[in-house]
Amino acid sequence: MRAKSYGFLYLLLTIAAVLIVLKTLNWLPTMFQKDMLRKFDSMDEVQSKLNIRDLLVPSYFPESIMWPPSEILAQAKPYPAVLMIFNDAKTRDVALVISEAASDAFSENSLLPFVQITRKVPFDLKNRKALLEVGTCKKDEPCSRLSWTENKYRIVLTMKSPPFELVRIAEGMLP
Amino acid sequence: MYVAQSFCHSLIASVLMDQALSAWKIDDPAIRQRFRLTVVLFPVFSFPFYQAIDPGRGSVLFRQNALFDVNRWLNMEIWGAVSFGLLFLIVLAITSLIFLFQEMIPILKHTLESRTMEHEGTRREPDPFIESASRALKIETPQVLIVEDDEPVIFSTTGKNALIVVSTGLTRSLTQDEMHAALAHEIAHIARSQRPLLLAVFFLRMILFFNPVVLIEFRRVVRNEEKICDDIAVLLTHRPEALAEALKKFYAVRKTPEPDTKPKPLFTPVPLEEYSYNIQLDGRIARLVQDPRRNARGGWVLLIVVFLIVASINYFVV
Repeated sequence: MRAKSYGFLYLLLTIAAVLIVLKTLNWLPTMFQKDMLRKFDSMDEVQSKLNIRDLLVPSYFPESIMWPPSEILAQAKPYPAVLMIFNDAKTRDVALVISEAASDAFSENSLLPFVQITRKVPFDLKNRKALLEVGTCKKDEPCSRLSWTENKYRIVLTMKSPPFELVRIAEGMLP
Repeated sequence: MYVAQSFCHSLIASVLMDQALSAWKIDDPAIRQRFRLTVVLFPVFSFPFYQAIDPGRGSVLFRQNALFDVNRWLNMEIWGAVSFGLLFLIVLAITSLIFLFQEMIPILKHTLESRTMEHEGTRREPDPFIESASRALKIETPQVLIVEDDEPVIFSTTGKNALIVVSTGLTRSLTQDEMHAALAHEIAHIARSQRPLLLAVFFLRMILFFNPVVLIEFRRVVRNEEKICDDIAVLLTHRPEALAEALKKFYAVRKTPEPDTKPKPLFTPVPLEEYSYNIQLDGRIARLVQDPRRNARGGWVLLIVVFLIVASINYFVV
């Protein structure tokens, strides 16, 4: 019985050691390479520290969306990418996600996942070929997504609302 | 993604399973083999399973908050020139070549040879011991073929018409008890090779041919198989010392090189495979001397507990 208890204790210590090692190994690369994906306080900080100058920032925001973004994640390597998360002014839930990345591999679909897509249509966004998707997220709430390519960036806007406001935000990002 | 994650998942599984085996001092080769098989099979399914239950697991935010994100290392550059990803690819390529030349080609060669090759020798008269041992293991009695060779050789072919090949050198050097023990070991191999589970494991293991952890773990599974067959042989003969003596005679021959008149260099490199085989033989003899008849039941609860821990940790390793 005593041997079994020691066995469990030993295993618990091993698990703790494995977790600490994994956490440390996960943190270590960020010490050596500062331009990896990490959190930033503002878009200005992203532009200055990562030297990403050609980012598109919305100039129009509906009142229901809080400014500034609640979270900004960005990287310069292996490719430039920025993720902006905006919350709803009333509920404080995630309401809008904007991602700009120089690779299709950069995806954020966990914050506003579509449960069902009801319409998927090509959309003319200030002479750019965009794709508009309309459907529902969790709790049957309306959701919409607009995506297009601007220079080297793939831009994706996902919003918990019908597409009208989303299109206006996207238009506000373009010159 | 599958490649990198399966590597991380197998490494974590291997460390935890190893530590669990030493924590509870599990020596039984059958239970050890179950733990090792879990390490071999788990990474085949872990990535698709996790993605199926949580499609958002590959997202940027999940990776950012994960316990370990392998991409951070793969994208990291050494002196701003070579990425760790490239080094990782080299390791995978070397592992794939080892798998190809040390596992795949020998297996294919053996399969083709065993289909076409006719073993020349004299068939031994039906032996009551072999018949009773085969009955005990619920297999058809294999034929025994005696071949002219001074080296002590014994091996079995598997399949429908299983055959045990024994050299005259071996028949001369072993006593009857030792010969029975050696034959019982081969009968155990034949009986276990007829289980579809082992074949399925090998095919699944082939999916991860590039994974160095799986390569090592699968070899440990094979080594465990030898010990399991030793235990079965002991159960059939009730004479562990006889099998130990038979193995000692093999070990003595392997250790004593044939007389050679050529001048030898001061340092003769021993092939790694042979070195490993000798160590294993030594370990098997030591086990048999201590009498390995233990209770092979149990271990399932511990295995399930450790498996759940491994699965929970690996969910957060992306």
